[in-house]
Amino acid sequence: MDFLSDFFTLFLGKLQSPTLGFLIGGVVVAAVNSRLAIPDPIYKFIVFMLLIKVGLSGGIAIRNANLLEMLLPAVFAMIVGILIVFIGRYTLAKLPKVKVVDAIATAGLFGAVSGSTLAAGLTILESESITYEPWAAALYPFMDIPALVTAIVLASIYISKQRDTADEALSKQEYLSKQPVTAGGYPSEQGITASGYPRKQPERVKIWPIVKESLQGSALSALLLGLALGILTRPESVYESFFDPLFRGLLSILMLVMGMEAAARIGELRKAGQWYALYAFFAPLLHGFIAFGFGMIAHYTTEFSLGGVVILAVIAASSSDISGPPTLRAGIPSANPSAYIGSSTAVGTPVALALGIPLFISLAQALG
Amino acid sequence: MTQQASKLVIVTEKLLLKKIAKIIDEAGATGYTVVDAGGKGSRNVRSSGQPTISDTYSNIKIEVLTPNRDMAVKISDEVAAQFFDDYSGIAYLCSVMEVLHAHKF
Repeated sequence: MDFLSDFFTLFLGKLQSPTLGFLIGGVVVAAVNSRLAIPDPIYKFIVFMLLIKVGLSGGIAIRNANLLEMLLPAVFAMIVGILIVFIGRYTLAKLPKVKVVDAIATAGLFGAVSGSTLAAGLTILESESITYEPWAAALYPFMDIPALVTAIVLASIYISKQRDTADEALSKQEYLSKQPVTAGGYPSEQGITASGYPRKQPERVKIWPIVKESLQGSALSALLLGLALGILTRPESVYESFFDPLFRGLLSILMLVMGMEAAARIGELRKAGQWYALYAFFAPLLHGFIAFGFGMIAHYTTEFSLGGVVILAVIAASSSDISGPPTLRAGIPSANPSAYIGSSTAVGTPVALALGIPLFISLAQALG
Repeated sequence: MTQQASKLVIVTEKLLLKKIAKIIDEAGATGYTVVDAGGKGSRNVRSSGQPTISDTYSNIKIEVLTPNRDMAVKISDEVAAQFFDDYSGIAYLCSVMEVLHAHKF
């Protein structure tokens, strides 16, 4: 009982942190239809600043770290990323009125990682003065890319199976002569024509373009650039005078934007259906706890710190909001973006931020 | 000295710009114009402003001037067949335009 009461005291304390305060503030502001808006370029710039700062601090610290320690957590991150997509494939996709491709895309987005959620997690860890491995932020791509690749491959397999079983897909010529081409309603009646990667042979998915596109995404590029600069150059002076002091203020503005965005996307989620809302609420916590379990295995076998375990859980709980959606839109064109972006932004991200992070940190503190 | 031309207008998702530009080039058109677009279509309402979270949600309008109708229809058919099942978009043609003050198009 003591453990539980300690845990809840810690948990309630976390809910008052500025990060979550600003997030909830954003939701409230948007809910009362306020015309307050944070300009989009500022939002993009903040995301860049946060990730380059996370990368820099990781890079600076990695110089004298033993990278072999990273092996097991990185493998676990990959496993969790792939597992999340399969969990979605066999839970969400099986529910009534849920289209399988939409469900796979949603699971892919929940498997992918949100840079802003990661930044928020790191900030709260620091404010709680919990130590974590300097390279922990670099686990991001190890979970993000496998999840997106798995989702796109699964969806392509499913679509080509559907096409084989469909009575007769219309050939392109017939399609063109039969009807005036209009902006097609979603979805097309005669089986979906996949025109994703690659165009010529829809049944074979090329992995490399997906990986490349993920790495070229704005969030991951900034993180990797920061890491490289931190390792190869000596950015300490600019880091200490500029990136580090601004970090927390920028993060709170970002949280405000995330809150506003979440409230704005609720309507879209309503269109997508209640099952998505349910999945989006429980999935981040479930994924986080699975990763927490894996992290604890690493903790007991390779001295992976509890702070690192929390980071692994936070990136598992997070769902991508910047670089994931375009990758999925191009990779699974027949999936409905309202379903997955709505689930992720309106419910998934707020849950991961407001419940996930405090839960995992409290759990780590109670265990530590 | 005016020149007769057809104008093809495609309004679709920004995500497709590179792929559509390639189709336009391959069809032999000498150029195109792209502007940010917003409005209401059969799928939903989109604002012309940039959506906050990602570019996935923004739309563009592509205008292509072609010397004849056939080239414009060829581009439009190719784009529609490839993308309009899965992405929001519309293509329309304005025939007989007069192009003024162009060296060449």
